[in-house]
Amino acid sequence: MGRLNRRSPDALIFLIFLVFLASLTSAWKKDEFRSCRQTPFCKRARGRAPNSLPSFSVADVSLSDGAVSARLVPAPTLRQVTDDDPSAADGDDASSRSLLLRLSVYRGGILRLEIDEDPSSAPTTKRRFRLPDVLLPNLDDLRLWLSRLSPDGASATSFYLADGFEGVLRHDPFQIVVRRAGSGGEPVLSLNSHGLFDFEQLRAKKDDENWEENFRSHTDSRPHGPQSISFDVSFHGADFVYGIPEHASTSLSLRPTRGPGVDESEPYRLFNLDVFEYLHDSPFGIYGSIPFMLSHGTRSTSGFFWLNAAEMQIDVLAPGWDDPAAPNAGRVDTFWMSEAGVVDAFFFVGPGPKDVLRQYASVTGTQAMPQEFAVAYHQCRWNYRDEEDVAAVDAGFDEHDIPYDVLWLDIDHADGKRYFTWDRVLFPHPEEMQNKLAAKGRHMVTIVDPHIKRDDSFYLHKEATEKGYYVKDASGKDFDGWCWPGSSSYPDMLNPEIREWWAEKFSLKEYVGSTPSLYIWNDMNEPSVFNGPEVTMPRDAIHMGGVEHRELHNAYGYYFHMATSNGLLKRGNGKDRPFVLSRAIFAGSQRYGAIWTGDNSADWDHLRVSVPMILNLGLAGMSFSGADVGGFFGNPENDLLVRWYQLGAYYPFFRAHAHHDTKRREPWLFGEQNTALMREAIHTRYSLLPYYYTLFREAAVTGIPVMRPLWLEFPSDKETYDNGEAFLVGSSLLVHGIYEKDQKSASVYLPSGASWFNLRNGVKFDGGVSHKLAVSEDSIPSFQRAGTIIPRKDRFRRSSTQMVNDPYTLVIALNGSLAAEGELYIDDGKSYDFEQGAYIHRRFIFADRKLTSIDIRPSNVGDKKFSTDCTVERIILLGLPSGAKKAVVEPGNHETNIELGPLTLRRASPPVALTIRKPNVRVADDWSLRIL
Amino acid sequence: MRTHRIRVSIAISCFCLLWVGGFTSLPPRELLGIAPQDEGYYKSDVIKCKDGSKKFTKQQLNDEFCDCPDGTDEPGTSACPEGEFYCRNAGHIPRTIFSSRVNDGVCDCCDGSDEYNGKSNCPNTCWEAGKSAREKLKKKIATHQDGLAIRKQELEKAKQAFAEDEAELLKLKNEEKILKGLVEKLREHKERIEKAEEEERLRKEKEEKKQREAERKSTEQNRPSEESAQYQSEGTQDTPMEMNSQDSVEIGHEPVVPPENEYNSRIEIPAVHNVGQKQVADNIGESITSGHGSDDVNNEIPSGHAADQEHISGNTEGLSREELGRLVASRWTGEHAEERTNEPNDANGEQEEQNQDFSDSAEEENYDSYNSDNDEDRHKFDDDDIQDVAAEEYGNHVEPDGSYDHDKDYKSEFPGSPSWLDKIKQTVQNIIQAFSFFKSPVDLSVASRVKKEYDDASSKLSKIQSRISGLSEKLKHDFGKEKDFYSFYDRCFENKQNKYIYKVCPFKKASQVEGHSSTQLGRWENFDESYRVMQFSNGDRCWNGPDRSLKVRLRCGLKDDLADVDEPSRCEYVAILSTPIICLEEKLKELQQKLEDMNKRQPSTHDEL
Repeated sequence: MGRLNRRSPDALIFLIFLVFLASLTSAWKKDEFRSCRQTPFCKRARGRAPNSLPSFSVADVSLSDGAVSARLVPAPTLRQVTDDDPSAADGDDASSRSLLLRLSVYRGGILRLEIDEDPSSAPTTKRRFRLPDVLLPNLDDLRLWLSRLSPDGASATSFYLADGFEGVLRHDPFQIVVRRAGSGGEPVLSLNSHGLFDFEQLRAKKDDENWEENFRSHTDSRPHGPQSISFDVSFHGADFVYGIPEHASTSLSLRPTRGPGVDESEPYRLFNLDVFEYLHDSPFGIYGSIPFMLSHGTRSTSGFFWLNAAEMQIDVLAPGWDDPAAPNAGRVDTFWMSEAGVVDAFFFVGPGPKDVLRQYASVTGTQAMPQEFAVAYHQCRWNYRDEEDVAAVDAGFDEHDIPYDVLWLDIDHADGKRYFTWDRVLFPHPEEMQNKLAAKGRHMVTIVDPHIKRDDSFYLHKEATEKGYYVKDASGKDFDGWCWPGSSSYPDMLNPEIREWWAEKFSLKEYVGSTPSLYIWNDMNEPSVFNGPEVTMPRDAIHMGGVEHRELHNAYGYYFHMATSNGLLKRGNGKDRPFVLSRAIFAGSQRYGAIWTGDNSADWDHLRVSVPMILNLGLAGMSFSGADVGGFFGNPENDLLVRWYQLGAYYPFFRAHAHHDTKRREPWLFGEQNTALMREAIHTRYSLLPYYYTLFREAAVTGIPVMRPLWLEFPSDKETYDNGEAFLVGSSLLVHGIYEKDQKSASVYLPSGASWFNLRNGVKFDGGVSHKLAVSEDSIPSFQRAGTIIPRKDRFRRSSTQMVNDPYTLVIALNGSLAAEGELYIDDGKSYDFEQGAYIHRRFIFADRKLTSIDIRPSNVGDKKFSTDCTVERIILLGLPSGAKKAVVEPGNHETNIELGPLTLRRASPPVALTIRKPNVRVADDWSLRIL
Repeated sequence: MRTHRIRVSIAISCFCLLWVGGFTSLPPRELLGIAPQDEGYYKSDVIKCKDGSKKFTKQQLNDEFCDCPDGTDEPGTSACPEGEFYCRNAGHIPRTIFSSRVNDGVCDCCDGSDEYNGKSNCPNTCWEAGKSAREKLKKKIATHQDGLAIRKQELEKAKQAFAEDEAELLKLKNEEKILKGLVEKLREHKERIEKAEEEERLRKEKEEKKQREAERKSTEQNRPSEESAQYQSEGTQDTPMEMNSQDSVEIGHEPVVPPENEYNSRIEIPAVHNVGQKQVADNIGESITSGHGSDDVNNEIPSGHAADQEHISGNTEGLSREELGRLVASRWTGEHAEERTNEPNDANGEQEEQNQDFSDSAEEENYDSYNSDNDEDRHKFDDDDIQDVAAEEYGNHVEPDGSYDHDKDYKSEFPGSPSWLDKIKQTVQNIIQAFSFFKSPVDLSVASRVKKEYDDASSKLSKIQSRISGLSEKLKHDFGKEKDFYSFYDRCFENKQNKYIYKVCPFKKASQVEGHSSTQLGRWENFDESYRVMQFSNGDRCWNGPDRSLKVRLRCGLKDDLADVDEPSRCEYVAILSTPIICLEEKLKELQQKLEDMNKRQPSTHDEL
């Protein structure tokens, strides 16, 4: 009789034990992941002091093919022998072979540095891996043909980089410097200015050598031995560095990991891992890796990107790390280490923050333009169990008048986790189910992971096996790892042929039960291998062409995402924009869809870190990202859930998700009051969809993220540099999260140089000041910047697709000179016709009491047209002195009334702003409106 | 004014479109989306927003611009986000929908009135839909009518049963009082006898000692000690042996509270206590043994409790690669490694709290088998529950004693007439009289009779007391205003779904049974939503989840029938129980009224069509 037992003391102890166990299970498993110290290449590299290595010198500098080419010759001294570094043993020619160096310049302020071994003197047949398919295919079109090298002092060569910038190659010791041109020659970026450049060259294995590495119960055969690369990069004129996602951190900037004043810390690790219950503040690697770092300071902004998909570890060095007596000011030094690959690195000169982002985007691409529905709200749970469940959740949203656009199905929808199949007991009519949703303008997403169940009766496994499409293990057999379906294998996504094969699987014919309104979610693509070292694939697994997994690990998920995205593209005959959410990411993932920050937890800390995480992802090109609203693990308290909706409504990717052990979390399950608050948060997002969609267009064209750190728009306001609590949506909207339970007030810094209007009540606040604001439960602090115009759609619908014909509201926040500007981009929301010019792009300009709408769509973008009958039903004016009663619309010369109205059309909203009633002008047309 | 002209032309064009299309005629713009009972409100030229925030003119009514934040001025358009639209739905039931549904491309009203901008084709389906709705309603009414009749009978029975139980309780309480007095008297006598016996024994011993001393003195070499040793042993063992034999005879006849359990009997532990305890002890012994036996199995599959803890806490060295995979997977799922692989896609209820099961199900199973030994089958939960509450009440964590059917036992022992009490009274009287000729040494036959009578009487007393506690426990419950649910007390409802049998025992507990293992879904909590929902909570704990709970929604039906057991959220179950008990008069009237309303609008609207 367990019931009585449970009350006895023994039972109590047992219960406590269970709780203890549970707490053990929920802890992050530090031991399962390698620290730098347990990673020989990292330990070796990190142990070196500046300028302690024998240096390389530059020889045979010449111009070839419009680029600088040279040899890096190692110093003739013997390399230091360290105990744990057999590669440094003497008698090997590796240390005396020279390396090949190439420097090329691209339009817009980009310098590319490539260093590889000289194949003509290679002792082995193995070639170092150069990662294909990440750089834009047309990058070469941007290359500048260098025609002249200039001597720079006694032993350096300089060359043109961009207007106002030049590149310098110092000869002995070897060093690269990007500097401002002219007499001062102020440096912007430098590589190897601390002499930490090291390059372990491939060599033949000696009989007595053992290259194996062991970690826990796993052995890495390391058939090619040590091949790591490390070097230092300095960002001059920088106060902070950012980027290199993905890490969970409460800090927006990258905190130093080494040097004076830094407690013992791991370097930032870039190694894609499926980390169970990741910590909210840690430099350890999680799901994604983008080796792109930006620096920002009052004097300059610059960036550095190392195209390399092997494990990378990066130290941010605190001032004085090299010389505590003379700490460097106005400079941030960093130290980069990678297990394999080559040096293929890009220096971005800036000089402004947005310049750096554009430069990076011109190398790796911009955010793919999403379908409009994907920008709206997504409802997910592990798992919506069956068709009845799906129908009930769908009906729940309607009953409570809460819009949503996408319903998601997690792993359990498939038959035994065989993706592309359906559990026919739970989902007997998948097409009908999707069509029912589609009838209300809604979409569905199913999950497709890379692990394929090793089941001979599963067509996908059969085909992949027969065609030899799986990644191989070190012995050459199909790699067999454990994941959701049990024993699984992984398609070799490095191979373009296999990616094509994979893409075909998404055709409506092959994916039985799919419909055109079904889109895809790629999870577990780090790849997650439950019984692999660090829960991933062994590094000595083999991909196409003998490439070792260690060499491309961080890009596996990228290739998988790419193949899936191409599958959806094919499915729609190239006309339907894919929507694929991926967990693993690499540089360039933005071209293939959305990403999210993985399995977070329902606690306040995880709510807080979502902002710095998404901001850093955005800086690294990933505009379309978000965190699971509510937190994946655990049950959020009501107020946490509400706060999460209020913040998540501003994430570029807005999805609620939950673990299957958690209580049901649909927004109407927490009492009427909370339902109303969550409904309001979601409605806020829906009304801002025109603004978001316009920002996505901007991201797709320029690479400037939708969600931005304050300093991106206010680069000279130092107060903003490390602000990770607030963010901007576009350039016009500032949002500050509420990250604590029962928080009654918040200290919100509003950047200088502008005034700010509270979005709830229209109250104006000065910039450059930290305001202490009372916080109510109905919203989080949000402001519109003076001088901006935000387009909204204030009518509610069940889904974004039903809002297509609804009229617009323009919210104009006037600055001190009573002027404002804003943009609106509209297209069909789903096809690629916009590439042929089928879109509307307007700029609204308010000046001299007159609002004008002008067409900014270039005339040479194509012949296709997009048209809409949508009108502007309301214009709200903030910051205009009262007294205006009427406005005149041109053309037509018709008058319309101005009266006091509310900022949002909700019950009990007070009339606080001048509102132009029913101007009823078409958004597609040119018009103007004069305030009388 | 230009805007005015546009508005009118839109209204006209909509009107024409619908007219041509053969739909129900659209009301004029000013009346769009307004309920008939509200039409008066919109009569005047200047209308107030219902929230009092401002006023608007008749021109502003349904002019596609939201003037009142509460939506008063736009009942017929989508302009106000928080407004509502009224569909007349002639031929069916009128409906109010959110403004967000107006002209959104989805036909929400069966009369199509919510889609009037000409972009979607919404035929009038009210007549058809109304017809089937009326059919359904008629059926529902019939069920309610028949159910109501059954309910009335049931209520009568419940009232009667309740009265009987109350009367019995009263009677038992009286009997208890008398019996208590008798037992007390018997106890006094018994103690006196025992005292006397003890004195007698001591005296005898003394005498014997003296005698032996004398004997030894007189004949020192005559007798070896053989005989005296024998004698001695006989002497010391005499009395206890006699008592023991008496006890054991009685155990065979009927359970008896052994002397050391006097305290327990005071807290109303039924007489089988000892047997139960022993059984449990045996079972524990067994489970320990079987635990040892299965050690090997545990080593083979890392499912054992201990093995798991170790793995989860991070020691994964030495696992096979498959075990490691399963183990890591189990972190996300909270499930146990080996279960996952056996049935990787069995989502429902496959999580088992191994830790708990280890202690729990082993015992529960044993407990069950004990049940069936002693107790034919039914009402397993009855006593179980009573026991529980009893233990709770006294804050005393006694070992459970297994199930015991008080009712049956009680009745067989205390047959209908109350004459047994008189008999006991008489007997006690006799004994006491016999005893007044108290003499020494103690008359052995009288002494044993007193003891026997005492044991009999106190055993009867404890039975009465346990019956009293059972009845009072039952009567304490809230059975509804008219004791509606009184008959549910002794009943369980079952529903079989795949491999599970769901068992709901109102006022007691609910469980999910799979073969021999049973998972408790919850213990009785209360009625909720004015007796429309039965709540069971604090069931077995879910791994990584909440305690299990069950919500049983009651629905009017002609038979008691448990259906639609579901687990919409992890470890939170719901089910529906049809029962005539919930077929209420008011509801019937409400349904009839609804049907009448529907019928009323039926002929006229049909003509319109």
